[in-house]
Amino acid sequence: MHIDLIFQPGNSAARVALGPNESITAEGGAMIAMSGDMAIETSTKKRGGGGGILAGLKRMLSGESFFLNHFTAGSNGGELFLATTLPGDMMQLDLQGETIIVQSGSFVACSDGIDIDLGWQGFKSLLSGESVFWLKISGHGKVVLSSFGAIYPQEVNGEYIVDSGHIVSFDETLQFKITKPGKSWLNAFLGGEGLVCKFEGQGTVWCQSHNPSSFGWEVGSLLKPRA
Amino acid sequence: MNVEMKGAPSFAHLHVLLEPGESIVAEADAMASMSANLDMMTRFNGGFFSGLCKRFLGGESLFVNEFVNNSSEQCKLTLVQATPGNMLEVDLNGETLCLQPGAYICSTPGIKLGLKWAGFASFIGREGLFKLTVSGEGKVWYGAYGELLEKEVDGEFIVDTAHLVSYEPQLKLKVQLAGGIFSSFFGGEGLVTRVQGTGKIVIQTRSLSGLANWLNPRII
Amino acid sequence: MRNDHSEYPYKMQGKPDFSYLTVNIPAGQTLKVEAGSMATMDTNIRMKTKMRGGFSRFLTGESLFINEFSAENGPGEIGIAPGSPGDMDHVYLENDIIYLQSAAFVAATMGVNVESKWQGLMKGFFSGESLFLARCSGVGDLWFNTYGAMMEIEVDGDYVVDTGHIVAFTEGLEYRVGKVGGYKSLFFSGEGLVCKFSGKGRLWLQTRQLGAFANWVYPFRPVKSQGGSDD
Repeated sequence: MHIDLIFQPGNSAARVALGPNESITAEGGAMIAMSGDMAIETSTKKRGGGGGILAGLKRMLSGESFFLNHFTAGSNGGELFLATTLPGDMMQLDLQGETIIVQSGSFVACSDGIDIDLGWQGFKSLLSGESVFWLKISGHGKVVLSSFGAIYPQEVNGEYIVDSGHIVSFDETLQFKITKPGKSWLNAFLGGEGLVCKFEGQGTVWCQSHNPSSFGWEVGSLLKPRA
Repeated sequence: MNVEMKGAPSFAHLHVLLEPGESIVAEADAMASMSANLDMMTRFNGGFFSGLCKRFLGGESLFVNEFVNNSSEQCKLTLVQATPGNMLEVDLNGETLCLQPGAYICSTPGIKLGLKWAGFASFIGREGLFKLTVSGEGKVWYGAYGELLEKEVDGEFIVDTAHLVSYEPQLKLKVQLAGGIFSSFFGGEGLVTRVQGTGKIVIQTRSLSGLANWLNPRII
Repeated sequence: MRNDHSEYPYKMQGKPDFSYLTVNIPAGQTLKVEAGSMATMDTNIRMKTKMRGGFSRFLTGESLFINEFSAENGPGEIGIAPGSPGDMDHVYLENDIIYLQSAAFVAATMGVNVESKWQGLMKGFFSGESLFLARCSGVGDLWFNTYGAMMEIEVDGDYVVDTGHIVAFTEGLEYRVGKVGGYKSLFFSGEGLVCKFSGKGRLWLQTRQLGAFANWVYPFRPVKSQGGSDD
């Protein structure tokens, strides 16, 4: 498998070249185009609870369900282009057994040998105000992540504060605390920063320059009401 | 202080390094990440009453944050705007610049933020009754959704109000219909701003209202 | 079809993410522009609308709304900003035919014929949007934009594309819209419907699609208030 990231950093997409009968798992809805003989199989990872088709669709609308497509190339290999919902950058990581925690909206694709777990309860999404959940990704293989905005790594050696809407992924080894940024609670709410995440320890936090929720509210407030 | 702009032109954001004792003023919600040793102080934007006016009529938040380095080491801070797009850095030496509400991102402590009555014409144009003015000695960073393009106006020029980001204060703005009455409203162009005089304006190549107009007819 | 010639002088800036078109309309000439996308213009440019009764596509059956801008008493400059963020391209048609997703139309010179009631391909499940194609033919300039980055593909054989990513394609390509992998795949894979192209021709794709963004922005939209209309 060979993955090329194209159109970085503003509207990144991934061009995946698969060998004969090789497969890749991608977030549902990410496919732009593919070779004519590629096979697709869908599986779902639900964040608790069944409920059938309608319930599944409702969860999809609220961002809580997670559909995965497994693309398998034919006997001559194949090509696949993957997209993202939001504009921004992409990055490729080669995991060698470590575990990273990834914001669900940032997951694009992974190779066989990578495990995705939805059960991570470290951040309560209510606190961060985001309708976002977190994936625990581990194993051996490639992982492709996307960001809203530019991606930059922030090495943590001690302590560092990141607004939770700006986190793409981080090493599981880091400790963290949900906290207020300024000297008083008044500052936190009036200053617009709300609650932030204070990371402690040693490791990397991959940050995105822009906050999807901030942009979402700016656009959403101008749209017609939803049913 | 060292301010580096990265991610331009599509996702411009600022990496700020503050030496001990230095501070920077930023729009509420602009902080993306920061050293744990930085102090953040929230303050009213230029006085209680004008702050209130700004909030309800000008579109800027009531509060700005001042990030102060009270520690003994260099501290890092990243600042960003809510939308994708480009940013501009401007050096002011006593001059004044007029900004569209929401375009302000941050400034050095010597810059004063003020409110200027923009007239009822501006209100009809959906931009609010006030324009934000920045003046003083120091640097200002502002941005908008889209790419930013500069244009020298000498005489007259027409700009769709949602695309005007900043203008020099000596320029006069007048609101008018884009075409005849029928054309303007049924043609979807509505009201536009006629810029008169000699000076520089900055326009944005996208607008949130344009994005909403593209989406609205196509969603249920 | 050529890329190296144009009827009116123009420049594109802000590529590839927020592309912006500036056209210099020669004295006495006219330019067709997608309604609502004029951002700047010289004061000697006159706008005329061809729309009757507003934007409602149910009234007119149209999916594409075009205004005409003319330069009077001299040449005039017009700046055009599409609503969606992305890239832009220009082709000079020489009696060629291009099928264009109607949301992608930006501008064209008067010799280009834009038939916008061409056909609807499919209905997006959540976005409610049918994919409308406009048929462009004639001689002249055509500018179109993409939502997201632009990919130009030379098709020779079979190629499968998610319909929301189609921008434009040349005549000579056959296409068939269908579902991928059975009904379960349709709903849960999020791919919606796909379009299989076959034959030889040029295909323009965009890397983002409106349906996915519509789903994403859904929770940020205002909620319809219950009961009572005007308080």
